[in-house]
Amino acid sequence: MTNTPQNQYEFRVIFNDEYSTITYNEQLSIAVCKADVEYIPINEFKRIFLFVSEFIETSNIHHFVFDKKALRTFHQPSMEWYFAIWKPSLRAKGLVNHYKILPDVAWFAKAVEAGRYEIFQKYGQDILEGITITYVKSVEEVVEKLEKR
Amino acid sequence: MDISYYKEQLEAKEDMLARTTEFLGQMQNTLTEKNRHLSEMQERISDSINFAKMIQTSLLPDIEILKIFFKDADYKILQQIGIGGDTIFIKNTGSGIVFCLLDATGHGIPGAMLSISGSLILNDITTSIEIDNPAVLLKLLNYRLHKTFNKNRYSIAHFEGTAFYYSSKNNMLHYSSAKGKVFLLNSKGEVISLGKNIASIGENPNTQFERFGLPIQKGEKILLFSDGLTDQFGGEYNKRFTVLRLKQLLSKHFDKSVSELKEIIYQAHIEWKGNNEQTDDISFKLIEF
Repeated sequence: MTNTPQNQYEFRVIFNDEYSTITYNEQLSIAVCKADVEYIPINEFKRIFLFVSEFIETSNIHHFVFDKKALRTFHQPSMEWYFAIWKPSLRAKGLVNHYKILPDVAWFAKAVEAGRYEIFQKYGQDILEGITITYVKSVEEVVEKLEKR
Repeated sequence: MDISYYKEQLEAKEDMLARTTEFLGQMQNTLTEKNRHLSEMQERISDSINFAKMIQTSLLPDIEILKIFFKDADYKILQQIGIGGDTIFIKNTGSGIVFCLLDATGHGIPGAMLSISGSLILNDITTSIEIDNPAVLLKLLNYRLHKTFNKNRYSIAHFEGTAFYYSSKNNMLHYSSAKGKVFLLNSKGEVISLGKNIASIGENPNTQFERFGLPIQKGEKILLFSDGLTDQFGGEYNKRFTVLRLKQLLSKHFDKSVSELKEIIYQAHIEWKGNNEQTDDISFKLIEF
């Protein structure tokens, strides 16, 4: 195992099913949701993220990474729920720092851009007020950012 | 995963494709509209500059006036965007001739506004009083320019340049400089830089400009130029053309006629510039005695 910034910290698995894995590091107050399949059905998607909503009640999560590298289908209704419902509800619980890791395929990034555009058109730009979204290449990059703080 | 998973994924993919295609179409339309707007703006700006160029060019003096007093004379002005801050002024005063090359601060539209103002002020001065001292001309221009533009403590309108007065009565060329660039080419091929004040015009209303006298010999030439000529970037290592390179060029071709020298200087500039953009407004004037 290489000595990356991420594996210098213990990331405890707090959720795992056939669609995703969620890990958590208390020291960095960070949770990482890693998609393990090309597509997550909306009901499963909601179940995964509602788990985080519950977990944050008893743990400190100030940084949340959504690793979408495995995804190949961008599901607009899921993303709309994620943006318009889930993120604002987590903002109320103190989670405002979100990090996204996109698959290394240009068309997926364009689909995300189209989805975001549609959501902003529907809900307005201020839907994410107070929330910081940073696109990163890896979890290591986020850990490095947090170490420098 | 059962078949319903793949069915749902397929539907989601189709939905994603349709939404992305629609989004890209909207972006394409937006870009097309912005591009059309930019083209319109560019055309309007270009038309405006072309008309402004006609106005500025119409204010330039007729070189034939100089040829009444000197064996030959010619000038070239290459404004960076068609209009700019370099200008030439020539006025037959009756007893002699006054001529200047002025380089205003900045270039483009503000440069052109300043250079036109400078020309009009010079014309007003030389129409009101008979000028036979170029230092007085610069002093009056300096005062009027400062009074017109620099009403507060910030000085916005400056010129660099040299003013000359020549009368065939005594064969003396009088000049006064405000950071102006002037070379004298004598019959031995020597290139002599003429003295200059360190203050520019418009900087301080109390600046004193010095008058110099130069007895001129038949066959000698002078070159007045703005620093745009020597500051042009280019050449193999993208460096400035420099005063030294200009001196070498003049020394090599000192015996050429005014029109030949004008072309040699212009071609040297074009060759040096290559594919680079023109760095500044450029003007130069040649006179042969």
